[in-house]
Formats: sequence, structure tokens, C-alpha cells
Amino acid sequence: MNKILRSLLASVLLLAACGGNKPAATENVDVKDAKELYGCNVINVYNAGEYIGENVLSDFENLYTAKVNYETFESNEMLYTKLLGGSSYDVLVPSDYTIERLLQENMLQKIDKAAITNIGNLNPDVVEMQKVFDPTLEYSVPYFWGTVGLVYNKNNVDPKVIEEQGWDILLNTDYAGKIFFYDSQRDAFMIAFKALGFSMNTDNENEILAATNWLKKMATTMDPAFVTDEVIDAMANGEKDIAIMYSGDAAYVLSENEDMAWIEPSQGTNVWVDAMVIPANATCPGLANAFINYITDYDASYANSEEVGYTSVHKEVFEELSGAGGTYEGNPAYMPRVGYEKDEVFHHNEILKQELGHNWNQVKNSINN
Amino acid sequence: MKGFNRLIYPYIVWAIIMIILPMLMIVLYAFTVKGNDVLTFQFTLENFVRFFKDPIFPGVLWRSLKVAFITTAICILLGYPCAYIFAKMKPNNQAVMVLLVTLPMWINVLVRTYAWRGLLSYVELSSEVRVYVGMVYNFLPFMILQVYTALSKIDPALITAAHDLGANDTNTFLKVILPLSLSGVVSGITLVFLPAVSSFFIPKFLGGGQYLLIGNLIEDYFIQTGDWNFGSAISLIMAIIILISMYIMRKLDREPKEAEVN
Repeated sequence: MNKILRSLLASVLLLAACGGNKPAATENVDVKDAKELYGCNVINVYNAGEYIGENVLSDFENLYTAKVNYETFESNEMLYTKLLGGSSYDVLVPSDYTIERLLQENMLQKIDKAAITNIGNLNPDVVEMQKVFDPTLEYSVPYFWGTVGLVYNKNNVDPKVIEEQGWDILLNTDYAGKIFFYDSQRDAFMIAFKALGFSMNTDNENEILAATNWLKKMATTMDPAFVTDEVIDAMANGEKDIAIMYSGDAAYVLSENEDMAWIEPSQGTNVWVDAMVIPANATCPGLANAFINYITDYDASYANSEEVGYTSVHKEVFEELSGAGGTYEGNPAYMPRVGYEKDEVFHHNEILKQELGHNWNQVKNSINN
Repeated sequence: MKGFNRLIYPYIVWAIIMIILPMLMIVLYAFTVKGNDVLTFQFTLENFVRFFKDPIFPGVLWRSLKVAFITTAICILLGYPCAYIFAKMKPNNQAVMVLLVTLPMWINVLVRTYAWRGLLSYVELSSEVRVYVGMVYNFLPFMILQVYTALSKIDPALITAAHDLGANDTNTFLKVILPLSLSGVVSGITLVFLPAVSSFFIPKFLGGGQYLLIGNLIEDYFIQTGDWNFGSAISLIMAIIILISMYIMRKLDREPKEAEVN
């Protein structure tokens, strides 16, 4: 809720800011005219909620004399559903596996590499991961990246125990009633597959059955609270002892509550990259490319990453924020694990998605019967 | 004056676009297979067969009905005495009490549920109790107001007459007041039970997501799994259940009135 309220408040403030000082912020910057350059001056941007810095959009609008219609989604699935419904956007920021799917379905157009002058700023490690879903690197430009792990309260959970058990701590009844479980079939099955030593992209029926049983055991013996974004504020307030979280949200929680610690289990986890893409039916691709380039610039990258806590794909911004004196200095969740052999990028598989979705409902149906 | 009838046209247009059309689309989706073209439809009953064959779905349906039923029962048990006490107060005090019951409804249900989440985090309660606290809190005003309206419409002369004819307080209540207030209870049930069957937000947020209800399933199939056809079939089954419930309610509502005439 806090998130929703905050974003509402932010958009109100943003509106107020747009109305108030249009020409003021343009003192020593070379203002461009989007209409003249690209023939259009409005772009529709669809991004995840709580994923952008404070003045990033209004600065872009001032710089290009343009208007950004900014909408947010809660999940990649919601984004895809919205696209199916015929909504038209100029820039989307989906995750790796959704980009893979959009590419398979010919729903994206190539990025104009000549317009992305800031492309050299990208962290080479992230570009390696990008090749998994966009092999030719022609269709996407990374936005944030990270992993999935566990946030725990150091005072109530022994770091040695959680290091040793990893994901299996979610079956340890010493912590029954004290865990937040992420309510998403993708993350739930990733955890079960990894805990059992399988690949998170497996389609082996026996392995799926074993993972489903692992999750059922967790659901019936651990009294977990199934949550999504509300876990961020709940963990910052220390409501429970262990929570599954995305690294960027964990970085925020760790910076708010010093009792909290972060671990990426040794059984391996999901490494993910969210990237900007331009849909095939974009109405203003020229300005969309300019927007992507603008986001990849140092200032915008810095503002975004500092504000939301997700790891920047911009190598200098990452070094600045995680280095000495940086906002996230010494915050392990801001520095996700790179190059670990058991970590994987998620792949889209429509048939598997249906099956795991059904199994996930089965898992939740096994409680409170 | 007849010209005013034309004022209904905007509503008709609104109803067609916002209510009738989406419902027709749900019916269409429910009876077709996935991946249809805009122009070619392949009809099927597969979605419904799947619903009743899979043990998850009847389980979910049962859980939804159970939550709604228990919520309604608690609302009657708490709401009736409340309304009865209100109806016996001085008119000025009645107005204050009605205002106090209505007051929380001026705030959005989402905000109130989040507030409950915060409040309940201070006490050790099972997720089941939390869910019912939230559900009853949210629906109780509807029950109180309906029963209160029915009770306050009862002519005091009837009660005096009952006493004059030798009925004690218990008999007066059982034979005069209760039957006359039943219509209020029935419309209270309509306002509590029907929305409670399809509610999913309160159980989700107060029950830690442990309550998989039919509303959650519909959301899941539309957004997460992206199977609109199956989601539509579930919605349609849900709509039929609500229609049947409404039919039963109306029958119940009519019976006491017929008795009255006799």
C-alpha cells in the first residue's frame, strides 16, 4: 500500500512540477525539439512500479520539449496481457523471459544503435546475460539487473544456519509462521527446483512433481504468508524473520533496517535483467530511442538506481553507488552475485507456464481446506 | 414531463458498453478455445469440463462459499441485536448511531483493510480469524442498516397491541417483531453474502494469501496464466452461482410478505 500511495503521491508531485516550472530547468542545457527531430513529441512508457528516479521523466520532457505518458505494471504477465489487449507503447521495460517471448512473437523492433551513444556505459557482465534472451543485442538495452535471495533478521536467524540450509530453511519448522513467501509461480518453482538441485528451466515431469511436493510441504507445515510487493515495507518494519526478495528490494530493506541481512543461497538462484525495448507498433520510435539513450546516461541511471535500490547496469554508476561513500556502500544486496555456475536466467516456456501455474494453485489450495 | 424519460438514454448507452458487452464477451470466451482469431471461433465445452474435473476448483468454490456463509452468519448475529438496540433508541440518538455505522464506509475499503493489517499485526491471531475480522468489519454495516430500516418501519401500535393481547416480551419479539423484520435480514443477506462470495482482496491481505478463493483464481487466469477462456468460464460459473443465490433470496423475501397478506 505504501508503495501505491507513494507512487500516487509521486505522480501528483510530478504533475505539479510539470505545471510549475517548464522553462526554468532549461538554463544551460541544449534544449532539443522532439517534434522537429522525430516528427512526434509524445511517447508512452510502460515500466514496473517504483522503478524510476524522482525528476528523471520531467528532465527528459524539458530536454526534448516532449511529453511522456508514464504507466506502471505489477508483473510481466500483466504487461503482456495489456499488450494483447491492443495497448500501444513506445518503450517497455520487461524482464528477460518476457523479452524472449516478445521476440519470438515478432512484437519488437530493433533499437537504433546509432542513437544509443551511451551504450558503452553498460556493465559487460550484464551484456553477457543480455545475450541469453537477446542473442544479437539488437532489440534491448538493459535497465536494472539483480538476483532473487533471502532477507533475514540477524537477531532471530543464525547466519550460519541459513548459509548452510539455503532455500531449505523455508522447510525448517523452527521458523514456521515467520516467513514471507513470494506469491508468484515462477519464483516459487525456481526456489523448489534449486533447493532440490534441478535446473530452474527443467521440463522433466518427475522434477516438476518433486518441486510441487516440496512447495506443498512448505505451504502446509510453515504457515507462510504469501505476499508480493507489500513484503518490502513489511520486512523494513521487521514483521517476520525470513522473506524471499528481489535483490533491489532487499537493498532498500537493508538500508532501512540494520537488523536485516541478505543471502543468495549456495544452491543457486535466478539472475535476471530487466531491459528497455521498443514494440513493433510504437508510434514514435525516434523519441523512444532518444529516451532509452537518455536513461542509459550517467545522471538518469544514477537517479534511478539511488532512488529505488536496484542495481544499475551502468558500470560507473554501480561503482559510485556501491563504492566508498556511495549510498549503497557495504550493502550486499546491491551487489548481486555474478558468474556463479548454479545461477540461471529464466526462459519463457508457454506450456510449462500453464502447468506450473496450475500446480501453484494446487499448492495454495492445500492450505485451509 | 415525458421529455425527462430521455434522460435515461445516457445510462442505457453506459450499461451497454460497460455491462452488457463485457458480459457477452465473457460468455463468448468461456465457450471458445484458446488462441481464436477475431473472426473464426471454435466452440467448446472443454473449459467447463476442466473446472469440474479438477479437484482444485470445486475445493476453491467450496472455500469461497464457506467464507461467505460464515461471514454472513456472524453479520446477522452481531448486526441484528445492534439494529434492534438502535431502533429502540430516541430518534436523535438513532441518527447518531446510524451515522457512526456509516462513517467508516466513507473511506475506501482498500485503505481500511490496510489499516486492519497494521492493527492485527500487534496481536497473535490465526490467519482464519484475521480474515473473518476483516470480512465482518467490512460487511457488517450493510446488515445493520438493512435490519434497522426494517425494524424502524414497524408500527409501534402493533407492539402495543401484542402486549394488550397478553403477549410477553419474548412472544412479542418472536411473533411480531422478528417476522416483520425478516425482509430486512433477507436484503441484508443479499448485500453481504453475494459480494462476500466473490471477494478476494480482504482474504488475500489479512489471511497472508493463504486463502485461495474463486476471485483469486479468476485474477490468476486472466493476468498471470493468461488463459482468458478458462478465466471467463470460471467467471461465468461464478455469475450463475450469484444468480441462483439472488433467486433464492427473492423467494425468501416474498414469502413473509405473502403471509402478511393472508
